[in-house]
Amino acid sequence: MIVVTTDAVPGKQTLQTIGIVRGNTVRAAHAGHDMAAWFKNVVGGEIEEYTKLLAESREQALDRMIAEAAARGANAVVGVRFVTSEIASGCAELLAYGTAVRVG
Amino acid sequence: MTPSHREPTHEELLAMAYADGELAPAERREFERLLESRADLRQEVVRLQRLALLARQAAGPEPIDLEWRRLALDPVQRAGLGLGWSLLLCGALAGLGSAGYVLWTSDAPLLLKLSASSVVGGFALLLALALRARARTRTFDPYTEIQR
Repeated sequence: MIVVTTDAVPGKQTLQTIGIVRGNTVRAAHAGHDMAAWFKNVVGGEIEEYTKLLAESREQALDRMIAEAAARGANAVVGVRFVTSEIASGCAELLAYGTAVRVG
Repeated sequence: MTPSHREPTHEELLAMAYADGELAPAERREFERLLESRADLRQEVVRLQRLALLARQAAGPEPIDLEWRRLALDPVQRAGLGLGWSLLLCGALAGLGSAGYVLWTSDAPLLLKLSASSVVGGFALLLALALRARARTRTFDPYTEIQR
């Protein structure tokens, strides 16, 4: 599966546009990580617990989008974007979306 | 885990194609039906997804990562973290137990004692169930090893 942020796959011809595909997730760190993050928030620097949390969410959302594209017979997703929002304190919501296409 | 000295079975090849999103929709649905009854295949798919995720995170460590690793092995840091969390947990449990003891030995109305105990008991039960659900599903969550 080719996944790109551009509107087309360079060097490939778009044979069919299948439609929008998306994947989203909301993940939380456990309370221990939240407490460790709170202490790090006091002293500054990178809060790896939350870096990891956002990275987990990003990859899961991406995988879900790819799975939907594959299920619909696509071999590429173009114009991929990520959107994040806060649905609850300490949770990371990530939505990945793009346009599923067949290229050849 | 697939040993390197033998050819993968047909089902393992299907699991690889499934994890990579390479199965046709009909093949995918058929394999998903097979997954419902095969815990070993589900574990294999999660293992393959973990490998794919690791390959995606191919960037090398940054200098600060090496320092974080050294810090994680530092005896003072380890002992301090262990002691800190132990004190926090023991203190919270002791405080909760003391509060319960004070409440039940006080002259407070029975209804108040029962309702307070009910809230604490309900909270503990729900927390235990959430922990149980997490323990059951964690092995099928390939995203837990992602660092950034």
